[in-house]
Amino acid sequence: MIRRVALFLGSLLVVAAIWELYKLIGPEAGGTVFGARLLPRAQDSAMPHVWDMLSRFGDPERRGSDRANWRVVLAAAWFSFRLALAGFAIGTLLGMGLAMVMARFKVVERGLLPYLVMSQTVPLIALAPLVATWGGKVQVGEWVWPRWMSAAVLGAFLAFFPVAVGALRGFASAPAASVELMRSYAATWRATFLKLSFPASVPYLVPALKLAATSSVIGVVVAEISTALRGGIGRLIVEYAQQSTGDPTKLFTAIFGAAALGLLMAGLVSCFEYVMMRNRPRPEEDERALDTIRREALA
Amino acid sequence: MSEHRAVVVDGVSKVFNRGTPRQVEALVDIDLTVGGGEFVSLIGPSGCGKSTLLRLVANLIEPSTGEVLVAGKDAPRARLDQEYGMAFQQAGLFDWRSVARNVELPLELKGWDGSRRRRRALEMLQLVKLTDFADHKPWQLSGGMQQRVAIARALAAHPRLLLMDEPFGALDEMTREHMQAELLRICAETETSVVFVTHSIPEAVYLSDRVVVMSPRPGRITEIIDVDLGPSRTVETREDASYFKKITEVREALRAGEDDRETEAVVAEERSSR
Ligand SMILES: Nc1ncnc2c1ncn2[C@@H]1O[C@H](COP(=O)(O)OP(=O)(O)OP(=O)(O)O)[C@@H](O)[C@H]1O
Ligand SMILES: [Mg+2]
Repeated sequence: MIRRVALFLGSLLVVAAIWELYKLIGPEAGGTVFGARLLPRAQDSAMPHVWDMLSRFGDPERRGSDRANWRVVLAAAWFSFRLALAGFAIGTLLGMGLAMVMARFKVVERGLLPYLVMSQTVPLIALAPLVATWGGKVQVGEWVWPRWMSAAVLGAFLAFFPVAVGALRGFASAPAASVELMRSYAATWRATFLKLSFPASVPYLVPALKLAATSSVIGVVVAEISTALRGGIGRLIVEYAQQSTGDPTKLFTAIFGAAALGLLMAGLVSCFEYVMMRNRPRPEEDERALDTIRREALA
Repeated sequence: MSEHRAVVVDGVSKVFNRGTPRQVEALVDIDLTVGGGEFVSLIGPSGCGKSTLLRLVANLIEPSTGEVLVAGKDAPRARLDQEYGMAFQQAGLFDWRSVARNVELPLELKGWDGSRRRRRALEMLQLVKLTDFADHKPWQLSGGMQQRVAIARALAAHPRLLLMDEPFGALDEMTREHMQAELLRICAETETSVVFVTHSIPEAVYLSDRVVVMSPRPGRITEIIDVDLGPSRTVETREDASYFKKITEVREALRAGEDDRETEAVVAEERSSR
């Protein structure tokens, strides 16, 4: 754990060093390689110094404002994080539910799966305004669809797919012999699911949830931008980008905020992974077992 | 009357993938009766349908023709009523459960409460000499130890009928002999009937009241040999002359099955060359 944190911090330092090195030797006004404009401009307005970007966090958000920039970025990241979390939760529930129905009824799997795959080819940018419009019409009694809900739904739209597919594969990953064992106990579908299919799916579920977590962040940020939802990090990036000619470092503070948001989500899933996988054989041990089998097969 | 019979297999055949190019006649015309408390071994070359026969009795697959009765009921009813316990060729333990919780699995499905389950599981683990490993995970155990856990799991609910598919194949010789003795003791004490698949002639002879010799393509029973080594078998039994005589008898029956097939092959060849 400590090693992984140290490794992560070390890699940050390396990236910062490469950044500064490029600023040192890269062409000020950008460059062309074989006629193509490939090399980014190294001047301060396009690639600010690392320390300038970091110190920008401490400066006031705008001239005359008494709020430091980091407060604004943090508030926006927190806002988006909650939306992404909501999207992740909705997407996970939906994905698990769909996978369960598909695992239970093969007909549903055959009928539904192609549509699920197709759903992911719809561009989010096109979908976002639609969802916002539909949401605006939803009203159940006193309850009115809040605007942020559209962003969460779009996060869920990206998140549910890897969960559904991963869980479906996971449920089917229980060895045939174990399925027969449960059958020999005359176990119901429910008991077989709870005691066999679901636990067997966990190694497939963990990477699926990781993907879903980062996808929900992307969904929320894109939705914020394309539905002009204020308060989140997506909106902040657009706003700061417009001001970047006068204040280039400010844009980077928002980008760092978005990156931190993604990391936080991934960290959350890693905690889940640790809890769920601590009683399982390690993948390396599996690998080693496979290696022995391979060697024996060759001998 | 059928109450005294643990298993009745009557005119059973099994064809896999019927009507496709991959059609396999796994079993043909099988008649077999296992009496209450009787120990019957199935022996025969690989692919002769031993596992298939066992799975038919367990109602994991349906016969193509014929009838299977277990404890006087038809096979599906018997499975629903949990009339048998089963140990497969592979241990098939659940990675995410501790050893003890693996043994508890069938009891859980029967709705036993936690403390009663735990007590029975520990009892079973004592039987297979794995008490110290109750809280380990299966993947921390050797293959032979895992197989012993699977046997404990099969015995846990004290079924009246045990179906075992090469359960001792992965064990070392000493553990194997110990498990054989334990199995005989348990079965004698609880009047459990056993259908036992094995590749080992001495094992079949040592354990069984009757040895069923099978031959492949198509799978059928070629001979049923009565073994009468007396009710209480000891270490001396393995050195007894009558024991060796039976081993020879089974070996010859197995070889006769092989020869039959060779003759058939020769006849078929002659026919086709004509
Ligand atoms: N599910 C199945 N589908 C198709 N063919 C099968 C199936 N199960 C078994 N068979 C075939 O039936 C025949 C008997 O198989 P079975 O597993 O019963 O043999 P066995 O006597 O247990 O062999 P072994 O000693 O190697 O375990 C084999 O030819 C096998 O290919
Ligand atoms: Mg077999």
